[in-house]
Amino acid sequence: MLWSALLLPSAPTAPCTEAARRAVATWALQFTPRVALADGAVLMEVATSVRLFGGKRALRDRVVAESAGVGVAQVAWAANSLAALALARAGLENGFKQPLPLLLDALPMQVLSAVHPHQLTLAHIGCRTLGDVRALPRGGVGRRFDKQLLQALDQAYGAEPEAHVWVALPERFDEHLELMARVEQAPALLWGARRLLLVMSGWLAARRAGVTAFTLRWAHDAMRSRDAGEGGEITVRTAEPTRDTEHLCRLLAEHLAHVQLPAPVGDLHLLATEVQPLLERSASLLPDTVRQGETLHLVLERLAARLGPGRVLRPVVQPDHRQEWMCRWQSAPEPLPRKLAPDTGLPQPTFVLPEPLKLLVRGNRPIYQGELQLLAGPQRVEGGWWDRVDGAGTTRNVVRDYWVALSARAGVLWVFQTRLDEAPAWYLHGHFA
Amino acid sequence: MHPALDWQEDDPSSALMFSPPPKPLRLASPVRLPGELPMAVAAAIWRGDQLGGPVCAVLSSGFKALDAQLPGGGWPCHGVIEILASQSGMLEWRLLGPALRQVCAAGRAVVVVGPPKAPHLPGLRFEGIDERHLVWVRADTVAERLWSAEQLIKANACGALVVWLPQARAEQVRRLQVLAASCEGPVFLCRPSAAARESSAAPLRLQARVGLDWELHLDIFKRKGPPLQGTLCLGSVPGGLRAILTPRLRFPSRLLPADVSREVDHVVVSTPAPERPHRAVH
Repeated sequence: MLWSALLLPSAPTAPCTEAARRAVATWALQFTPRVALADGAVLMEVATSVRLFGGKRALRDRVVAESAGVGVAQVAWAANSLAALALARAGLENGFKQPLPLLLDALPMQVLSAVHPHQLTLAHIGCRTLGDVRALPRGGVGRRFDKQLLQALDQAYGAEPEAHVWVALPERFDEHLELMARVEQAPALLWGARRLLLVMSGWLAARRAGVTAFTLRWAHDAMRSRDAGEGGEITVRTAEPTRDTEHLCRLLAEHLAHVQLPAPVGDLHLLATEVQPLLERSASLLPDTVRQGETLHLVLERLAARLGPGRVLRPVVQPDHRQEWMCRWQSAPEPLPRKLAPDTGLPQPTFVLPEPLKLLVRGNRPIYQGELQLLAGPQRVEGGWWDRVDGAGTTRNVVRDYWVALSARAGVLWVFQTRLDEAPAWYLHGHFA
Repeated sequence: MHPALDWQEDDPSSALMFSPPPKPLRLASPVRLPGELPMAVAAAIWRGDQLGGPVCAVLSSGFKALDAQLPGGGWPCHGVIEILASQSGMLEWRLLGPALRQVCAAGRAVVVVGPPKAPHLPGLRFEGIDERHLVWVRADTVAERLWSAEQLIKANACGALVVWLPQARAEQVRRLQVLAASCEGPVFLCRPSAAARESSAAPLRLQARVGLDWELHLDIFKRKGPPLQGTLCLGSVPGGLRAILTPRLRFPSRLLPADVSREVDHVVVSTPAPERPHRAVH
C-alpha cells in the first residue's frame, strides 16, 4: 500500500473550504480511482498506479510538482492513510525512511484528529508525542477516553484495517475559485485560471477525454460600480481535443490579452463546455526518431488567437472560372471539404492582386513598368450573370480576355482586357511569381 | 553514492579508455613535411576556399546547377536562407517551387507569412502545392511577422517556412537564425535587394532576378565557402505555363523590341538582332 496525503493550507490566508478539497480530489483522480477526503486533506492510494506513471520516483516528482499548482501545501507518503496524514501535518514527506512506528512515535500527538477531544487531559498526564499516548495502558485508555482514540492509534500504526468512502468523479466539470485578492487586469486572471485548468486537466485525464471548448467566467466583486455588470466570460475553442495545460494556458492568455475588465474580479468559474474522448498514443518499444516540438494546429491556434481567426488561412478551390472566386480562404482550423475541386489544367498565376490594377495604354499596348509583351492568349472568361450581389441589383458578371504578358522588369504577368466596355481597358490581375 | 564513478577513478586502466591510443598516430607520421597535418586532421578541417560539407540535412532545390553551388547540395535545413529580390512577389514560387513540392509530397505543411499578394492556389497546384499543405498567415506589421515566424520556428511544426520581411534589422534576423537551428525545415526570408548591403546572420544569402527567356539569375554572395563568381542562370518556366509554351515562346527576348532587351539586363545573351518586333502573338 502506498498512501499519499495532500494537505491543504489551513491558515486564514486561504480558508480550506469544501470546494477546495473537492477540486484537489478531482485533480487527484487522474492518478488513481481511490481518493478519499479527510479533514483538511485529500488522501489517495497509488500503489497500483506506480507502474503506469513510470515508477515511484517519477510519480512522486509529478505529484509534488503539480500539486503545488492546485494549492496543496504539504505532500506525505506512508503505508497507510492516517500515518500519511499525520506525517503531512507534522511537515514530513517520506514515511518510508525509517520503520513507521519509530517515525510516528516522535510526532506531536496533535497530528491525529482523534486526539483533539482529549488533548487537554492527555497533556495534563504528561503526554507530548504519539509515542507517549501509545505507551499508556490500553485498558485504561479505553475506559477513560473513547474507542476512537484507540482505533485511530491502531490504524495509524498499521495494526487495524481502514475503511474509506471513495470520491466519485463528477459528471460535468464546473469548478469555482475565489481569488485571494481582487484582480483588476485581465491577464492577471491567468494565475487563478491556471489553477482551475490544472484541475480540469486532471478531470479530463481521469475521464480519458480532451476538451475542445472551455469557458472561463468571472464575477466582479460586490464593490463594483453599477454599470460594470455582473461579470463576463470567454469561451476558448481548440481544433483537436486536448488536455495539455500548457497549451490551454497559452491560448487563454492570448484571449485574455484582448479583454478589458470594467471592475475588479473576485470569483472565477471554469466549465468544460465540450468534451470529447481522447485517443492516446501508445509508446513504442523501440526508440524512434522523436520529433521535437508541437503539432502544426497547436501553433496555428496560438497565432490565430493573437492575430485574429481571419488571418491564419487555408485555401479552398472553388469550381469557378472567374479568378476572384476561384480560391476561397477560410480560417485554418475549419475542416477542408472532403472532395477537392478538380484541376482545369489552364494556366493560372501564383500570386493574384486583391483588386485588378488598371494599366496605362500606350499605342494599344498596356504598360506596367515598361511596355508589356503579350505572350500567350487569349483565355476568354465569360460568366457570372447568375451571381447576384445581395441588395445592389447587379451581378458579378465578368467578360474578360486573359493574356500572359512579359515585362522586362516585373517578370511574367497575368493581364486581362475587358470586352464589354466602350473602350477596352487593360488590367493587371496576377503574377507568375 | 555513485559506485560507477568511484570505480573509474580508482582503476587506472579505465582512464586509458578515454584518452586516444597514441600508437596509430606514431605509425601515420614517420615522414611528415613541416606544416603538413596528419590525414585524419586534414580531412576534418574545412578550408575557406572549399564549399562547406553537408553539416546538416539539405532539401534539394530542384535545380541541378543550383544544387552544385550550394554547400551540401541543396537548401540547408536548420537555418535561415535569405532571398533578395528587387521587387517582392515576382519570382518566389518559381525559385522555391521544386523544393516546396518535395515538402508537400512528404505530407508536411508549407507556411507563408505575410506574402506581398494573395497566393493563388490554382496556380500553385502546378508547383505541387495543394490546399492540404498550404497555410497563409496574414501578418501585416513587421512585429507580427517576426512573432509569427518565431512561433512557427519554435514549434518546429511546418515542413518549410517562407517569410516576407520588407524591413528587418540584423539582430532580428540573427534571432530567427538562432531559433532556426532547432527547426527541421528550411526557413526562407524574402527581403528587398537593399538588404544586400547590410550584414546578416543568415548562412546563405542570394540575390535573384528574373531573366527574359524563362530564366532566373542568381548571385550567391554569401554561402559557406567562397562567394560565387558570376551569375547562375536557371531555366524555370512557371508551372502554369509549361503546357502552353510553343517553340516560338521559348525565347521571348527575341520577340521584344530590340531597345528594351538591350537596356534592361546585361546578363541576357544578346541574340542575333531581332529583325522585327512582333506586335501580338495570336
